[in-house]
Amino acid sequence: MTLETLLQVAAGGLLMGLIYALVAAGLSLIFGLMDVVNFAHGELMMLAMYAVFVIWDATGLDPLWQLPVVAGLLFLTGMAIYRGLIARALSVPFNRGMVQIFVTFGLAIFIRGAAQFVWGGEFRAVNHTWLSDRSLNLGGVFLPLPQLAASAVCLAAFAGLLAISRTEFGRALEATREDRDAVALIGIDRDRIFAMGWGLGAGAVGIAGVMLAGFYYVGPNVGASFALIAYVTVALGGFGSMAGALVAGVLIGEVEAFTAVVLEPSLKQIGVFAVYLLVLMFRPRGLFGKL
Amino acid sequence: MDRRQFIIGAGMLAASTTAARAADEVVIGVVYPLTGNGAAVGLDAKAAYEVAAEIINGTHAPIGVAMGKGGGLDRLGGAKIKLVFADSQNDPQKARAEAERLITQEKAVAIVGSYTSATGATISQVTERYEVPYISADNSSPSLNQRGLKWFFRTGPHDEMFTKGMFDFLADVAKKTGKPAKSVALFYEDSIFGTDSSNVQRKLAAAAGITVAADIRYRASSPSLSTEAQKLKAANADVLLPSSYTSDAILILKAMNEIGYKPKAVLAQAAGFQESAFMQGAGALAEGVMSRSSFALDADKLRPAIPVVNGLYKAHNNKDMNDNTSREITALLTLADAINRAGSAKPDAIRAALVATDIPGSQTIMPWAGVKFDETGQNTLCNPVIQQVFDGVYKTVWPFDLAAKDVVWNVGG
Repeated sequence: MTLETLLQVAAGGLLMGLIYALVAAGLSLIFGLMDVVNFAHGELMMLAMYAVFVIWDATGLDPLWQLPVVAGLLFLTGMAIYRGLIARALSVPFNRGMVQIFVTFGLAIFIRGAAQFVWGGEFRAVNHTWLSDRSLNLGGVFLPLPQLAASAVCLAAFAGLLAISRTEFGRALEATREDRDAVALIGIDRDRIFAMGWGLGAGAVGIAGVMLAGFYYVGPNVGASFALIAYVTVALGGFGSMAGALVAGVLIGEVEAFTAVVLEPSLKQIGVFAVYLLVLMFRPRGLFGKL
Repeated sequence: MDRRQFIIGAGMLAASTTAARAADEVVIGVVYPLTGNGAAVGLDAKAAYEVAAEIINGTHAPIGVAMGKGGGLDRLGGAKIKLVFADSQNDPQKARAEAERLITQEKAVAIVGSYTSATGATISQVTERYEVPYISADNSSPSLNQRGLKWFFRTGPHDEMFTKGMFDFLADVAKKTGKPAKSVALFYEDSIFGTDSSNVQRKLAAAAGITVAADIRYRASSPSLSTEAQKLKAANADVLLPSSYTSDAILILKAMNEIGYKPKAVLAQAAGFQESAFMQGAGALAEGVMSRSSFALDADKLRPAIPVVNGLYKAHNNKDMNDNTSREITALLTLADAINRAGSAKPDAIRAALVATDIPGSQTIMPWAGVKFDETGQNTLCNPVIQQVFDGVYKTVWPFDLAAKDVVWNVGG
C-alpha cells in the first residue's frame, strides 16, 4: 500500500468519523440528560435529509443555506417529541424503562413508514449543489468539498454545544443531569430543561443530516445504518460525554476505514465492534464516561 | 343481534366469500419487499403485477403476448387471477413466513417473487414443502435452480447466463473496436446475489484470459464506501464489474467521483443499476455506465407489444418498464398461461403445464427466444442484452443487431 493510499484512507475515515460523531452527540446529550435512549435518532436524521431534499427540489436553495432552517425545524421537532411522547412515557407509574424503549422504537418505525408513505420508497439525491462533485486535490489525496464542509460544520456544532454548556442554561442542564429531583427545589423547570435537551439533540442530528444530504442518497431507511454506528459511538465515548462522542466518532471512522483495507471491506464492522468490546472490557463506562 | 347470531352471521359471510372465491378466482401469492431497503423495487413490482393481472383479467383489445386477449382464464370458465401481496421486508425469514401464510391462509395456488435471491431461496423451500409452484421472476442467483427443487421455475435469466452475456459482449466489442479489455475489477455485495455473481465472473474472466485486478467484497448498505472506492482506484482495471443493489450503486459512483476516479468502463450486473431511483440518485455520474439487462424498452420493432404494455404500466405507475418490472410481468403471464392450459387451479396440474410451457419470443415483451423450462426449472431461452446510459436513459448497445445506439467504449484508448 502506497503512502498516498494510506493518507486517502485516513482522510476518508476522519471525514466520515466526524459525521458519526455529530450524529452520536445528539443521542449522547439526550441519554446523558435523562437516561432515555432515543431509538428514533436515525429517523430524525432521515427527516432532516428529506427536509433538505424537499426544500431543494421546490426552491433550488443550496443545502448550506438551508442549514439554520432545517436545524431549527428539527429543534422544534425534538421539543414536540418530548412534550407529546417522552414526557408522558416518563410519567407512567410502572415499567418506565420498557415504556421509554418502546415509545421511541415505535416512533422510529412510525417515522420510517410515514416517510415511505409521503415520499415513496425511492432513493433521492440532492444533485448540483454549490459544493457537489468538487474535490480538493492535495498531492494525490482527494478531499471532497461536501464532506470537508460537513466536517467543518460538525466541529463548529461541537464548539456550539460546548459554548452552550458554559451558559446559565448549560449549568441548569448539568444540574438536572446530576440530580433531577433536587433541581426542582431550587426553582429550575425540569420539564423545560428536558424539552430543550431534546430540541438540542434533534437539532444536532439535524445538522448532520443537512450536511450528509449534500453528498449522500436520501431514502426512508438511510438513518438506520447511521443509528447503529451512533449507539456504538455513544457507548464507546461514554454516555453523556460530548468529548467522548467526538473522539469515539473519529476513532470508529478510522477503524472502519482501516479494517476495510487490512481485512476486507465486507468485514469492516468487525474492527469497529472489536475496538468497542476491548474498550468496554477495560472501561465499562466508555472512554470518557464518568463513574 | 346477540353475540351468537353475530358469530353465525359472520361465519356464513366468511363461508360465502370463500366459496365465491373458489368458483371464479385463482389466488396467486406475490412476495416482495414492500417496506424497508428494497421497497423502491418492491412497490414497482407490485404495480407491474397489477398491470399483468389487468392484461389477463381485463377487457381490452388483444395484446401480442401470452394471455394478452384478456377476459380471464378461458379454460377455467373465465376465472380471474387474484393477487395477494405480502411484504418480505427483504428479510429471508419474513419471506419464508409470508409465503407459508399465503399458501395456508390465503389458499394461494402458486407464489411469485421476490427480487433478492436470499428471499427467493427461503420462499422456494416453503413452496417445495407445500408442493405449490414458485415462479421466480427476478431472483438471479444461479444456485437457486441447482438445488434439485421440483416446484421451482425461473422465467428470467440467472447471473451465469447474464454474466456469460457480459463476457460475450466484451469479446464482441474487442473484435469490433480492436480495443480488448485486459483486466476487470470485481466489486460485489456480501449476500447470495453478489457472491454468486462474483464466482461466475471470476471463472469466466479466467476462461477469457482477462486479469482480475481487484476482488472486493463489501458489506451491503454500509454508511460509507470510500475505502472501497480507494481500492478500486488503486487497481484501475479496464472494466469495473459491480454487483450491487440501489443504495450501494449510487454510493460507490459518488465515492469514486469524490476521490477523482472515473473508471474507464463500468459494466454492471443490473440490480440496483437498472433502477429508476439509481438514475435520479446518481445523476450525471451514471452517464456511460453499462449494464446487462433482460429487457430492452427500445426493441419495439422486434416486439410490438412493448409500447402497448409499457403504456399500461406507465399509466399505472408513472414510469417506464425496466429490467425488473418487465420480467415480473412476463413471470405472471407465463404462470397464467400455464394455469389456463392446465384447465385447473390444482398445483399438480399447474406444475405439469409449467413443465410443458413453450411460449415463442414473439409472444413476450422480452428480447428473448422464448420461455421454455429445462428439468431444473430454468428458462433456457432468455438471452440478455447490454445497455448503456445516454443522457440519463438506458439504450441497448448489444447484441449489435438489436442495438439502438453504438456503444461508447473508452478502454485502451
